[in-house]
Amino acid sequence: MKLSKLFSITCIKVFFLCGALAFSAGTHADSASYTGQSRTFLWNPDFNDIVDTSQYKKDPPYVVGFSNAGVADGWLVTFKHGVEWAAAENRERIEKFIITDANWDADKQIRDIQDLLNQDIDILLVNPVTLEALDPVLRRTMRSDVPVVSVVRRVKSDEAFVSFVTASDTALARLSAQWMVETLGGSGKIVLLPGQAGASPAEFRLRAAKEVFGQYPDIEILSVQYTDWSPAKGKEVMATLIQAHGGEIDGVWADSGLQGSGSVEAFINAGVSGKDIPPHTGGDLNYMYQLAHEHGFPFCGIDYTAAIGIDGVRIALDVLEGEQVPTRFDLNFQVVIPEGHETTSIKADVWLRDYVRLDKPGELIMGHGLGEDYDPQTFTANYPR
Amino acid sequence: MKAVVVNFQRLGRARQWNISTIVLTVMIALTILIGTLVNSHFASWGNLSNILEQAAGLGFASIGQTLTILTGGIDLSIGMIISASTVFLAATVDGRDSLVWPMVIATLAMGTSIGIINGVVISRLKVHPLIVTLGMAAILEGCILLFTLKPTGSIPFWFEEFAWGRLNGIPIAALSMFVAFIGVALFLSRTGLGRSLYAYGDNIEAARLRGIPVNRVCVFVYATSGFFAALAGVYFVSRTGIGDPRIGVPFTLTSITPVIVGGTLLSGGKGGVIGTLFGVLLLSLIGNVLNHMNVSTSIQWVIQGLIILAAVSFYLRKGDK
Repeated sequence: MKLSKLFSITCIKVFFLCGALAFSAGTHADSASYTGQSRTFLWNPDFNDIVDTSQYKKDPPYVVGFSNAGVADGWLVTFKHGVEWAAAENRERIEKFIITDANWDADKQIRDIQDLLNQDIDILLVNPVTLEALDPVLRRTMRSDVPVVSVVRRVKSDEAFVSFVTASDTALARLSAQWMVETLGGSGKIVLLPGQAGASPAEFRLRAAKEVFGQYPDIEILSVQYTDWSPAKGKEVMATLIQAHGGEIDGVWADSGLQGSGSVEAFINAGVSGKDIPPHTGGDLNYMYQLAHEHGFPFCGIDYTAAIGIDGVRIALDVLEGEQVPTRFDLNFQVVIPEGHETTSIKADVWLRDYVRLDKPGELIMGHGLGEDYDPQTFTANYPR
Repeated sequence: MKAVVVNFQRLGRARQWNISTIVLTVMIALTILIGTLVNSHFASWGNLSNILEQAAGLGFASIGQTLTILTGGIDLSIGMIISASTVFLAATVDGRDSLVWPMVIATLAMGTSIGIINGVVISRLKVHPLIVTLGMAAILEGCILLFTLKPTGSIPFWFEEFAWGRLNGIPIAALSMFVAFIGVALFLSRTGLGRSLYAYGDNIEAARLRGIPVNRVCVFVYATSGFFAALAGVYFVSRTGIGDPRIGVPFTLTSITPVIVGGTLLSGGKGGVIGTLFGVLLLSLIGNVLNHMNVSTSIQWVIQGLIILAAVSFYLRKGDK
């Protein structure tokens, strides 16, 4: 009886805490129409533990270390801007915010983390280069009583971090893949354009998408080509595939509009335009939304919201204040579909015409959470260095 | 007359070694001074031992590179041998205690074998080392990516001690690196084969005429380079707990930097591993100081590039090409 009561109280605490977190995440969404609880939290069949962080509680001001994997594309630039913006917003609680950039070198990131620890940081915020290689150094960091908040990517061991801040890669991929299957009526030849080989978001999304496509025997995957989340590489790869397969390509699943926009451009260059462009998936990049809006082809865009950096900093500060935090914090996302292209399973949270920013540059990363005037070219943040 | 020429050469080598060592010692001292002034956390034993520990991977990789450059060659397959070694070791061990040491030996043998192939092709087919090792790097990269696109395998936790452990407060990896450098330095100065590397690098035809088995020397040099690249791979498996197909990529070029900074000439015949050790320590120190100064990675690259240019200019001004 006592156990069941304890369980009920814990569940209620978890629900309200996560609800509060999701609400605060929603307050910095740009043109979001779905502002409810994160669906990946609500639909997650597993339990999400809440961590008591009282052992890490300290009086401000704090020294925060942020070890970033690298800045290789527009999404990562915007993500980093979010981290810097959140650090600036909390400058009264932060004495020093130290940022290192590993340039996608796992060995350098390990060195960076050792150098951050030597500067007596109170907490480590980390975007790991890979799921696996940072595991030993982060386990050691936790054992030295410096809490770790992992953002974007997690590492293998549960004991290597206090909290993992993410937007679900698997949900993003399954939803967009299911939309593709249903848009094609369960039958057709498709091309998969994942991001960077070996990067955990790309691999998770690809695996989740294949789970969906694998359930439909009449869906044939013509080719899987990694694109490094580069519009130029997406275009180059698709131009080659159009040469190889011609009009056989019925759909293109891209895990982001970064390379998805390149794919659409390749079709346009090949003389395919308007609604003849095969169905595409891929969010994040305003230009992808602009192309889908302009040409009217079937489209499903889901952002891996770059505002994740803002929530990473917030959770890190919560840990230092001894607040309870979830072991995994899922950010919300929007399903963006043009009118007339919803499917049985996948409905729009927001219509494409309401979401696309025709007044903003194509390189803008959507879901940035940095306000209406955000411009990645001119952004600066006055955070304590 | 011949003896006089040889003596002059030795004298020249000794002077070159001394000048580069003095310059590097001054630069290391300056870097430590700057680090101490800019950040109060810099001058601590904890940080110094971190720097030594962090230097080990680059140190192992650049020992082999020093030998190839001493002979007037270059090994651009080092990065991919490192990656292949990490993937091979972690994937074959896959967390099983009993397989660790046999597979470490097999990994070192694999790296050495790849080096032997490089050396045989270079010496027998007379193809430039740059082309051969670049080709080998491409072959290895393709094979690694055919096997796995992402980090794979695992090792028992105790094996992490090679990269992370301390012996009386000194990092085990750094101790291993120093032993390797001293061993190779003694080999180069005290053995006939070691001295023949300088003769090979000075003038291969003259070395051949003096009876030096140049083909064997070449195979030996690239085999040694492969061995040390594999040793760096073993270190990285210990450090990351995984076989990472990308971890060696930066070392294709960064393994050359400490060699040049350390005073070994790209044209071959002059230099040595002690200069390279100083180069490794200097570069590791600079990276650490810049991190403590909160300087971005992009600027760190610029500074590294400037150091290479300064080093090359310095040695050219000394009259060596």
